[in-house]
Amino acid sequence: MLELDGLTKRFPGVLALDGVSLSIAGGEMHALAGENGAGKSSLIRLLAGIHRPDAGTMRLGGAPYAPSVPLDAIRAGLRVVHQELNLLPALSVAENLLFERLPRRAGLLDRRRLDERARALLASVGLDGLDPRRRVETLGIAQCQLIEIARAVGGGETEGRVLILDEPTATLTPRESARLFELIERLRARGMTMIYVSHHLAEIFALCDRVSVLRNGRLVETRPTAQTDASGLIRAMLGRALAAQEAAAGHLRPPPDASRPPALELRGVRPRAAPSAPRQVAGERPGGIDLVLRHGEIVGIAGLVGAGRTELLRAIFGADGRAPGTMLRDGHEVRIAAPSDATRQGIGLLTEDRKREGLVLPMSAAINTSLAALRRIARAGILRPAAERAACMEQAGRLSTRLSGPGQKVVELSGGNQQKVVLAKWLLAGTRVLMLDEPTRGIDVGAKAEIHDLLDRLAASGHALLVVSSELPELMRLCDRIEVMSRGRIAGSLERAEFSEERILELAYRGFVDPRTSGAGP
Amino acid sequence: MTDPLARRLRAVVREAGIGVALLLVVAFFALFAPGFLGETNLSNILTQVTINLILATGMTFAILIGGIDLSVGAVMALCAVVGGTVMQAPFLPPWAAVCAGIAASLAVGMVAGALNGAISALWGIPSFIVTLGMLNVARGSALEVTDARSIYDFPDAFLAFGSAHLFGLPLMFLLALGLLAFGWVVLTRTVFGRMIYAIGNNEEAVRLSGHRTLRVRVAAFTITGLCVGIAAMVYVTRLSIANPILGVGFELNAIAAVIIGGTSLSGGRGSLFGTLLGAIVIGVLGNGLVLMGMSDFSRQIVTGAVIILAVVLDSYRARLSAAG
Repeated sequence: MLELDGLTKRFPGVLALDGVSLSIAGGEMHALAGENGAGKSSLIRLLAGIHRPDAGTMRLGGAPYAPSVPLDAIRAGLRVVHQELNLLPALSVAENLLFERLPRRAGLLDRRRLDERARALLASVGLDGLDPRRRVETLGIAQCQLIEIARAVGGGETEGRVLILDEPTATLTPRESARLFELIERLRARGMTMIYVSHHLAEIFALCDRVSVLRNGRLVETRPTAQTDASGLIRAMLGRALAAQEAAAGHLRPPPDASRPPALELRGVRPRAAPSAPRQVAGERPGGIDLVLRHGEIVGIAGLVGAGRTELLRAIFGADGRAPGTMLRDGHEVRIAAPSDATRQGIGLLTEDRKREGLVLPMSAAINTSLAALRRIARAGILRPAAERAACMEQAGRLSTRLSGPGQKVVELSGGNQQKVVLAKWLLAGTRVLMLDEPTRGIDVGAKAEIHDLLDRLAASGHALLVVSSELPELMRLCDRIEVMSRGRIAGSLERAEFSEERILELAYRGFVDPRTSGAGP
Repeated sequence: MTDPLARRLRAVVREAGIGVALLLVVAFFALFAPGFLGETNLSNILTQVTINLILATGMTFAILIGGIDLSVGAVMALCAVVGGTVMQAPFLPPWAAVCAGIAASLAVGMVAGALNGAISALWGIPSFIVTLGMLNVARGSALEVTDARSIYDFPDAFLAFGSAHLFGLPLMFLLALGLLAFGWVVLTRTVFGRMIYAIGNNEEAVRLSGHRTLRVRVAAFTITGLCVGIAAMVYVTRLSIANPILGVGFELNAIAAVIIGGTSLSGGRGSLFGTLLGAIVIGVLGNGLVLMGMSDFSRQIVTGAVIILAVVLDSYRARLSAAG
């Protein structure tokens, strides 16, 4: 049904897909597995016509298939249910379902026919009782998910032949998932070809005929699910060659300072719900997160996308208001209800999205560097431009940031140099507890190593660092300890001697392997 | 745009664009409008520009931080009638009445501005909507306070300001100029001014750098309101009347001056110097077209066209700087 031959896709700085060839039979249920960033999403985007491959060809149902816009894919009968839902919240269920082919009579919307068709589609996904005129924003997430699927398999002339499901159960409860699985079985009985992407290995084994594993943009293996098991799959996703490769490098830092109270301690802090956290049953109180971060220590936070890592950092920083629970800074309880409280306590956050949340892009490097340290740069509220420029260049020298001068706009800088400006901002502000969310994402190899060295030096000089990263080698290279999060909880903690990618992944997938115990913690 | 010289040239054109436009307009009227360059006429222009200049100075703060204030005309009427009413208090000596009246006008303006800023910042509502509501609230309040009647008979000492001259220039224009210069210093030399520009460009990044952006936003709109209160008093001293329907449409002239002056409607980029030139361009256009005998209606058409042209140029400029 679907044949991929030598698909290659390059993004600036990364080879997202490297010669992927794959053949999927009609009516097959095919799983795609791989770590974050292994190329699953890139592959789906090529299939859906969102991106075009740099090399390679695709065939769909025997005919050449080269979608250049998503509509081409839809016309060819290939539909994708994306991880993030694409419904229009203010419109009705029926309008969402039939958005691409609203029935018209004399140019006007034919409401009666619209509702009729919508009802038929809803019945096909087991939502018989749902009023097609209800607005989508009043529905729960599980219903939205089913509506997305109904839309994708939809009737009419563009009936789907291939359906791609990207993490469809990420936001569902076990019961809702079970309903989805029933639907999938029914679609399979109708001969639908499906590609299923999930972190939940148990689902892959329960539902799929074959599984393909991607790693670093390459297809590692494709085999029937009957011929492998969870640990075999994890091994394939990791690749032996990678394991512990960088872990031995460096790490000559002095041990963390255990004589002082921890730089930061969390007791039962509850961040905003993580995307993959099991939704709360009324009356149930989750335990919250405990964490100790010492001066001179680098603690890593590992976990799958959506495990709640970013939410934890934002909770500590007060970015979404005060999080329930207790926080101690140098042994004293502190109340952090806004970022301004956190910075006053010497806590800084290098955000995941530096362009939107870290930098004021159209402004100069000097302005961005002093953004969190204006109290130091100014006297009685009056700026001192000379001091500001000097501070900028001093930090640039310390971090070897390549600037044409303090007046250079940060929008003109490379990713690595932009990230160094963000780091300079926090260093100039005198930050002692620095949290870093994906500090080297989208940064080339050279700058990456420089940032790693810099973080080492910061820890050696007594800074306390909390690092979130999806790259396990990076965490293993940097950290004294790694806390692994799974579905909003800390699933386990590994000391440096225990570091291995298998151990980390095993903890990260805990709560996913068996749906019944999902989210049950360590 | 890798060549630094080319870049600098383009930056100069960007900054100077409005200045060049002003020179062209002045040259045109000097040639074709009879009496345009006469001393009385130039003084007239400055007088006519004064109120818009004060309003536009305040408007620049609101627009730079990424907002807008549509309520300035209506709030100005409320300031004028409240200030005027206080000024007529029978139990106060004239000088005290004048001071109390001015203080009342400034206070009303600042409260309205602070409300605009706080409501839009606290609930994340676009200031466009909030100030549109405030426009009606203020206009209605002004009519209530006065029972829709005008207020006359102010102390002579107060009215004398309106026609006073210093160094041959209208005193009120010098006041507006001083206010603008002070605002320029605040915007370019203080932490507060830096916050306004930075928030106008990327509020979330500023907040996540540990700043209380809400306070800055409220303060910026309060400054807009303060300028409205000042403009109201200038209006009363010049025209010797405070009525509840004054200032209709003044917000649009103020916004036009700011935009023609090169400040980006999306915030974060622009300067009060540009606003000064923008306000003068609008004033000169209006004056010169009258001298050329153009009707009220045709003048509106021309002024409107100029505003559209300025915004088109602004978007072109934005694309230029995005490319650079």
